[in-house]
Amino acid sequence: MNYIPHTKEDISKMLSVVGCSTVDELVSEFKPRLSELNLNNPMSEMELVAYMTSLSEKNSQMKCFVGGGSYDHYIPSVINHLVSRGEFLTSYTPYQPEASQGILQVLYEFQSYICLLTGMDVSNASLYDGASALAEAALLSSAYTKRRGIFVDAGLNPEYLKVLQTYCDGTDLVISNTIDENTACVISQNPNFNGEIKNPTGLIEKTHLNNSLFINCISDPTSLAIIKPPGEFGADIVVGEGQSFGIPKSFGGPYLGFMAVKQFLTKKLPGRIVGITTDGKGNEGFVLTLQAREQFIRRERATSNITTNQTLLALTATIYLASLGKTGLQNVARASYHNAHLLQEKLRKKGIDIVNTNPFYNEFLVKTPKSTEKIIANLAEHNIFGGIDVGDNKLLVCCTEKNSLQDIDLYVKEASI
Amino acid sequence: MEDRKFTKEHEWVEKVDQIIIIGITEFAQDQLGDIVSIELPKVGSSFKQNEAMAIIDSVKASSDIYSPVDGEITETNEKLLEQPELINQSPNEEGWILKMKPNNPEQLDSLLSKEQYNNLVGQSKE
Amino acid sequence: MKLIFEYNQANTKHTPEEKDVDVPKELKRENLLLPDVNEVQIIRHYTELSKKNYGIDTNLYPLGSCTMKYNPRVNEDIAKLAGFSNIHPLTPVNQAQGALEVIWELQEDLKKITGMDAFSLQPAAGSQSELLGIMIAKKYFAEKNENRTKIIIPDSAHGTNPATAAMCKFQTVTIPTDKRGNMDLDEFKKEIGSDVAVVMITNPNTLGLYEENLSEIKNLAKENGALMYCDGANMNAFLGISKPADQGFDMIHLNLHKTFSTPHGGGGPGGGSLGVKTFLEDYLPVPRIKKENNEFVFDCNQEKSVGKLHSFYGNFGILVRALAYVRSWGTDIQKISKMAVLNANYLFSLLKEDFDVPYDRRCAHEFVISAKNLGEKSTINIAKRITDYGFHAPTIYFPLIVKEALMIEPTETESKETLDAYANILKIIIKELKEEPELLKNAPHTTPGRLDEVKAARQLNLRWAPQE
Repeated sequence: MNYIPHTKEDISKMLSVVGCSTVDELVSEFKPRLSELNLNNPMSEMELVAYMTSLSEKNSQMKCFVGGGSYDHYIPSVINHLVSRGEFLTSYTPYQPEASQGILQVLYEFQSYICLLTGMDVSNASLYDGASALAEAALLSSAYTKRRGIFVDAGLNPEYLKVLQTYCDGTDLVISNTIDENTACVISQNPNFNGEIKNPTGLIEKTHLNNSLFINCISDPTSLAIIKPPGEFGADIVVGEGQSFGIPKSFGGPYLGFMAVKQFLTKKLPGRIVGITTDGKGNEGFVLTLQAREQFIRRERATSNITTNQTLLALTATIYLASLGKTGLQNVARASYHNAHLLQEKLRKKGIDIVNTNPFYNEFLVKTPKSTEKIIANLAEHNIFGGIDVGDNKLLVCCTEKNSLQDIDLYVKEASI
Repeated sequence: MEDRKFTKEHEWVEKVDQIIIIGITEFAQDQLGDIVSIELPKVGSSFKQNEAMAIIDSVKASSDIYSPVDGEITETNEKLLEQPELINQSPNEEGWILKMKPNNPEQLDSLLSKEQYNNLVGQSKE
Repeated sequence: MKLIFEYNQANTKHTPEEKDVDVPKELKRENLLLPDVNEVQIIRHYTELSKKNYGIDTNLYPLGSCTMKYNPRVNEDIAKLAGFSNIHPLTPVNQAQGALEVIWELQEDLKKITGMDAFSLQPAAGSQSELLGIMIAKKYFAEKNENRTKIIIPDSAHGTNPATAAMCKFQTVTIPTDKRGNMDLDEFKKEIGSDVAVVMITNPNTLGLYEENLSEIKNLAKENGALMYCDGANMNAFLGISKPADQGFDMIHLNLHKTFSTPHGGGGPGGGSLGVKTFLEDYLPVPRIKKENNEFVFDCNQEKSVGKLHSFYGNFGILVRALAYVRSWGTDIQKISKMAVLNANYLFSLLKEDFDVPYDRRCAHEFVISAKNLGEKSTINIAKRITDYGFHAPTIYFPLIVKEALMIEPTETESKETLDAYANILKIIIKELKEEPELLKNAPHTTPGRLDEVKAARQLNLRWAPQE
């Protein structure tokens, strides 16, 4: 399999123009020359497909009742066909805007969708994933307030907390358990890791009285179709994971981080931002803007070093939100909510302890009478991925619109409580 | 009113009673191109001589404004937040950037005179 | 130019209709102002947008240091296999052996290619890989109780290098480039010392030139206990020809979306990776992958680890593509670099007379020329005019140390015909510059034409909002 179009004749002609007798001579500067490269023999396309397919078949596909930062929502067919178009797939960051109006408009639409859903004023054109978006929001808060303390409300996804801790360690920020004059930001996940929906009003008030910024983190943003948006509650920054918007679970990546802010923080947003402008004749067009914030201009004065974003996933999310529309997204959220509540109720009737007393979206916590490990194993035998063992005999269970009534009944039956 | 002084970083400094007013020169704004935003320091914050205290962004570049002396910010030109182009249009008047109270006014003596600054600019134009 | 929000149509039912939910009123959403658009219109809307977009599939895309090589379609099919795309990241490892094997095998291949002892594939992109590398250096020296505050970077470096250093609270020390295009050795000697934590080098550098003093730089760094970091963005120049570990580097990051052919996707997703020598291995992020009795497991028990950078394990779908790419090439992998370097030198030879050449040396897989003798703003005008001829401009105004710079990287997947055509277009444009400059000043002659970026930054319009 060879994507090098040169014939022997081409190479010979080119070498004579360059003034070298062999191609080897051209790379002779790279020393030391390696003596042996222990890689496999080259494969044809057919052989490659056989090999990679065999790897894929070593992974079990089960009926999914798990969330925890990655959600099994239905992906409309239309998405794949549009996202695979070569003009999108193989394009680059749109630094020459006149040749990239397509992608730029998509990113503008993405930014707009995020604002509409979160109730915020401005969004960027995506970040790597929910966890790093949260870390970037902490960095932003520190740069804005000139403080170094980060307060994290209970209920944050533990993996997000680990990533946040890593970023803080590397950039000299400190996660603390008090809101005081050192606090740059207060972070709260809503719905939280246990699926609970809270009213953040009190915490936001406390944050603002302290002159800190309030960051709301969202793990499954389909929840925004039925829950009041954080912008209306008064959040200053909203971050989260956009994987629920048409992106496959794909063993954890690539995913889609998003960040939206209130107007006053616009110039502090990291990452790329698309804006509308005009040409000399008054025709409207899209460009990357406020680029002086970014690393390639600010260099050592940049707040963040981020370069690449997740454009193709932002395109995916935009097409998802367009395809579903208001009605469709509401249906997805309602189904996720109803299914989770139905499963919880059925489990309760079977004798399992419900831990959530607060309203919840599509994830809930149960306490298992027997070992959680055993229940997960029982369910796995019936090809069901039944939940996340969060310790202390507690199981975190998730439902989406994809979990049918039969699946739910099978779950209840085979959980063998 | 005393004559303005200048820095190697293309800032002008004007002393009015106990306060100094700071802006960037005509040459500097020309070099930067169309200015799109400015980050101003908080009133009350202190800076040492040569410490970066503000950042000016144009479309394709970003430049620090350095403190000419040890001192404290007393006022910033908030108009620039909405109308950064004032720096391009009127760098010496309406485009003033901030006011400071110098800790040691003698530090001003080490800055460049108008003639010395013009020489500096003349050299860089070659 | 119609935005998706300006439609108002009957929704296509992708999932069944559902009753409303009984969330408490204070928590319930009242207005959801998203449009409903029919699937027919979705297809037309985004198909139309795709036609307004240039990609590698369109024509040559010679952006310096971006390595815009052909993105193999078979890798797209492979990544979409249900056994890869439909797997939840928290699937118990005994039921996700294939996924762990992908990560493991790619790590092993990258170790062989670079000579490094251990890899992490968790970073999501090049800049996140750099962040990881600098965090590791910071922790390493902290544990040795050595107070090192500086990172040395050449002035030709990509902006991410100093930005990363600053994020981690290091002071950047910038070394100028000498007349031959190398990092100035004398200036380096003045700055290297026991207060330097890391020397960050791109090799070949962003001028497309091999760092001729690399050996001496490496020796001086080692003498002073500083770490050698390779920004591997330009790995396409020497795959299978030389190993960064043998060149003296302690750490290297690779951009999977550059050298390893994964699609750029309009700006992302990318795929990062960090390779390190054994003495730094324990600092790599968790979870690590271990092989025990022919089974793969995740190991989170790494006391010295800097922690975690990604919610899960990195951009797995990108790793699948990169593994497929490396496996397809196998021992032929040096053909990639040899042809990449040949293509660059050939195009360079064709253009030498027409432009100013800041460093007249054999180039690696990319080269830098300058339009400074063609008049003020000639580079931007040339770049815009290239669009009118159905091609894409190279990288312009970078590296910052060359005035009116054009940085050109053809990659190995471009044919001689394409390179000849591109050189020809540039020559035509230079002729136009001299004889009909208005053609360039008003370029590109598209709709919209040259867009006002000053207005975009001063009069911010960053999202659609519904009319009140």
